[in-house]
Amino acid sequence: MRVTILPDREVREVDARSVGELLKTLGLHRDAHLVVRGQDILTSDVSLSEGDQIEVWPVISGGRR
Amino acid sequence: MRCHTCRGPANVEIRRSRTAYCARCYPAWFRTQVQERIDHERMFRRDQAILVAVSGGKDSLALWHTLTELGYRADGMYIRLGIGDYSQRSQAKSEAFASERGLTLHQVDLKEGQGFAVPDLLDTRSGKPCAACGTVKRYHFNKMAADLGYEVVATGHNLDDEAATLFGNVMHWNVDYLGRQGPVLESTHPKLVRKVKPLYRLSERETAAYAIIERLDYILEECPMAKGAKSLAYKGMLNALEEEQPGAKYGFLVGFLKQGRHAVPGGDFDQATDLRECTRCGQPTTGELCAYCKMADRGRKKSASKAAKYAR
Repeated sequence: MRVTILPDREVREVDARSVGELLKTLGLHRDAHLVVRGQDILTSDVSLSEGDQIEVWPVISGGRR
Repeated sequence: MRCHTCRGPANVEIRRSRTAYCARCYPAWFRTQVQERIDHERMFRRDQAILVAVSGGKDSLALWHTLTELGYRADGMYIRLGIGDYSQRSQAKSEAFASERGLTLHQVDLKEGQGFAVPDLLDTRSGKPCAACGTVKRYHFNKMAADLGYEVVATGHNLDDEAATLFGNVMHWNVDYLGRQGPVLESTHPKLVRKVKPLYRLSERETAAYAIIERLDYILEECPMAKGAKSLAYKGMLNALEEEQPGAKYGFLVGFLKQGRHAVPGGDFDQATDLRECTRCGQPTTGELCAYCKMADRGRKKSASKAAKYAR
């Protein structure tokens, strides 16, 4: 499926059956990202299908605050 | 996964408490968590005016949104740090948030008002301005709040920020800083405003989920000057641990605040107690000239030498 990784909108083709598997395949931590389909945030157990348009949102910000 | 409240399909999983919420129930859960912390830590009362430190990012906008939804009188303050396009975009997000909701946003322009910008404050050892940028923010948020009569400054520091800071302070055994880390920093001088962190037990992921569900238009990109910052490395390590042990970050921070903090020398004092006023700007400091005034001198010098170089 087509996965867009924010903020740079890098597009990757990934083969994964669930949200948890998708993040694992991309080597991303679950606590550092949110996976979004359309307007919905998805939990890690949600099944994904080939035609899904998925976005991965990073949530970590750094520097001295 | 099912929503803990309504049993419908869930959207946001909270692994540390083995629960999940749907998009409809999640904002109420989030706001309840914030309200519970405000009350438990006695952060502020409903009759007090609060100044929210706003950056245009998810944490500060989620905090400002939450406080107004909870019925608090919260104004915002944004500092124009002068970090190129990034600053312009974050300023635009902050201004749009305020104007769409009819909220007051105070602003300070570093370059116009002080004669330097954050990129003029690079640390010679790390090559980063993050520590100096922190000093700039603390100084101006405090000064603005004190000058305008706000009794409390609220910042969007979340669980990941606080756990990463704690991790760094333990790594380097910064005992003075360890003793002062907490969700409420009491005022110890008439010009030093109380600081509170209402999001300190909510993770960065939970704050981002709130911002997305509430359709808050925040700046998603990272500050370009923070790339390679130590805090990001610490957050990465803690998230690797969290992957294997859900709740590790929460246990580390909350365990320290409950049990470790008071065992550290100085742990009973929230902000420095031996304060006098800076001979130049009048702000509270432990020395004769405050850290900000010293740093601003360096920044102005750097800014002037840059200008001279371009004029040649």
